[in-house]
Amino acid sequence: MLTIKDLGYWYSHPDDALFTNVNLSFEAGQSYAVVGESGSGKTTFLSLVAGLDTPKAGRIELNGKDIRKMGLTNYRKHSVSIVFQAYNLFNYMSPVNNVLTAMAITNSKHQGDKAYAKQLLAKLGLTEDQMGQNVTHLSGGQQQRVAIARAMGCDADLVVADEPTGNLDEANTKEVVELFQQLAHEENKCVIIVTHETNVAAACDHSYRLAHKQFTMEQPTA
Amino acid sequence: MNFFKRAWLSLLAKKGRSLLMLIVMSAIMLFVFAGLLIHSAADKATQQAKENVGVTITLSANRAAAFKKMQKSQSSGSSSKPTITTSPVKLSDAKKIAKLSNISSYNATSSTSVNADGFDTVSTSTASSQMGGRMGGSSSSSTGDITVDGVTSTASSSSFTDKTDKITSGRNLTTSDKNTNNTVIESELAKADSLKVGDTIKVKTTSSKKTYTLKIVGIYKAKSSASSSMPGVSDPSNTIYTSYTFANTVKGSKYKNTADSVTFNVSNPSKVSSVKAAGKKLINTSKYSLSTDDASYQTVKASMKSVESFANKIVWLVAIAGTIILALIIMLQIRERRHEIGVLLALGESRGKVIGQFFVEMGIVMVVSLVIAGIGGQFIGNKLGNQLVSQQTSSLSTSSSTSTTQAPGGGMKGNGQAPSGKMGGGQMGNQATSSRTASVKQTNLDVKLSAVQLVKLGAMGLVITLLSVMLAAGNILRLQPKKILLD
Ligand SMILES: Nc1ncnc2c1ncn2[C@@H]1O[C@H](COP(=O)(O)OP(=O)(O)OP(=O)(O)O)[C@@H](O)[C@H]1O
Ligand SMILES: [Mg+2]
Repeated sequence: MLTIKDLGYWYSHPDDALFTNVNLSFEAGQSYAVVGESGSGKTTFLSLVAGLDTPKAGRIELNGKDIRKMGLTNYRKHSVSIVFQAYNLFNYMSPVNNVLTAMAITNSKHQGDKAYAKQLLAKLGLTEDQMGQNVTHLSGGQQQRVAIARAMGCDADLVVADEPTGNLDEANTKEVVELFQQLAHEENKCVIIVTHETNVAAACDHSYRLAHKQFTMEQPTA
Repeated sequence: MNFFKRAWLSLLAKKGRSLLMLIVMSAIMLFVFAGLLIHSAADKATQQAKENVGVTITLSANRAAAFKKMQKSQSSGSSSKPTITTSPVKLSDAKKIAKLSNISSYNATSSTSVNADGFDTVSTSTASSQMGGRMGGSSSSSTGDITVDGVTSTASSSSFTDKTDKITSGRNLTTSDKNTNNTVIESELAKADSLKVGDTIKVKTTSSKKTYTLKIVGIYKAKSSASSSMPGVSDPSNTIYTSYTFANTVKGSKYKNTADSVTFNVSNPSKVSSVKAAGKKLINTSKYSLSTDDASYQTVKASMKSVESFANKIVWLVAIAGTIILALIIMLQIRERRHEIGVLLALGESRGKVIGQFFVEMGIVMVVSLVIAGIGGQFIGNKLGNQLVSQQTSSLSTSSSTSTTQAPGGGMKGNGQAPSGKMGGGQMGNQATSSRTASVKQTNLDVKLSAVQLVKLGAMGLVITLLSVMLAAGNILRLQPKKILLD
């Protein structure tokens, strides 16, 4: 579904590239972990996949089409959902309104469907009570669930996450990873998770390690 | 959940921030509004001045021409005593001018003097009643101790309109007093002789010693004037008002249907010069002259102009400073909310709509502040406006009074308003010193809120909001959504 072709990126000089000539492909219905040392360029890679930045070399294709030709805003709007380490919810809204806002902006087919938004949140374990209050009153784990619900509410086939469990405890981490797995397997989405936690990586269907400017497939260890 | 709704939710959730914005915005709107209100009030005051402040055109004998003629006859070696021969104004001429458009009314004045018969006049310590012929005039009569100011109506004569004189009991002389012997006398004179409305007095002409009985219909009070102590000028309390017809009768039959001068009230001060030009075509300009007096109007106009320009400056200054302040506040907000903006952009929201959300938020705050400014602006406008007016009028009246005292006192100059037209009578300076600025000082700003003003303020607010958001929008346009992943 998503094909990376000869991808390269550097901040100042091509000689200091974070990665070059990367060729990868990501399929729908599968989850992928991207691991690597701190500073290796995982987040940078994700920003390219999420359409937040443009590659210095090579290209990213979605179903055979260069995402730059689609227009990055258009690509973000319709094809990709992002989950952040810091949740980044709209802090002046309730969980329901967070989901509704995302659905409205992305022109989701469920746009304006409050019942559907609640259904999503309920599925992720939020109570009716929590759905109505301001998101800042929720715990980290609950907020990240709202963020995942927000990603689910959009119709995008691709879900990318940067350290989604970075601020969560072990139990919440496990549940959130499970939710991502469900997204891949039950909703047939392509899920890419950047993480430095080996157990998160191990839970994914596939794992890539970024090192020496290259991505290499890793065998799941757990 | 479009950006309108987001803006609304954001304002509701962040109450402290919204309140701060509201306070800043209200302060800006308040001063813009006060400025707008003062400006319109000054505008209205100028408009009212046009209607109320007397702008007059006076028809009188052309003394300048007469003076030249006299000099000519002197230099040609005529042995006779030099005389200025001026003709009294013919009322038929005056009636023609009165028919011109923009002339609302007219007032004929004819002055003379008589002697009191059987009652005492008011005398000032230094006053000597002997004055005759100082001006070298043509008058054959000597001066009496009572000055008779014949008018068409007292209410429209200059000393009443500029409030030098005021009726204290009885009534004004009006057009219906034409051909009567009714009179209005000064309160000091009334007191000295225990006269009251309804009583009669007798006066004698200075030349033929003919006696007339006058009926007192009103008593006026004269503002004490410095000229009263001038030697040789009779006390102002000895001035009585009568119909101009009575003054003409005293002066003699050849004065029938004439006047020393006729003052026309111009209804629209801005038309004064065209009215004057039209009037000149109707008269013999070598014998008569038309002069305008719109000093009061010009003073009010000038004072209101400066209030207006000050109000304009307030509006512009506050608007510009306000726009900059608001832009800075919005820039700070954008910094503070960069994650929120980043997520919106990451979700695929257009930058235009993100800017739109900020604009709507500011817009809502602006509308609420409009209400606050509407309530408070009138109060501030009133206070500030009247402060301005009192400053303006006091500075203007001092400058105008110095300019009048410095004006070269050529004898011909004063004939504009001075009703005492008779040359030889020795009554020249009598009323010419009446204070011109009296009516100007009463100009009060009526600062009132109107729907038009509110709409104007709303438009200003909208422009300020739009500009400030546009100034700050660069920060949104420059914001890279990738940044939300990095910090
Ligand atoms: N805007 C930038 N300008 C210059 N260099 C940058 C910029 N952003 C990141 N870098 C550098 O690029 C490198 C890769 O950064 P990146 O954030 O992609 O690493 P990462 O793998 O996500 O690290 P971590 O695991 O700590 O999150 C780092 O050395 C970082 O200092
Ligand atoms: Mg990172």
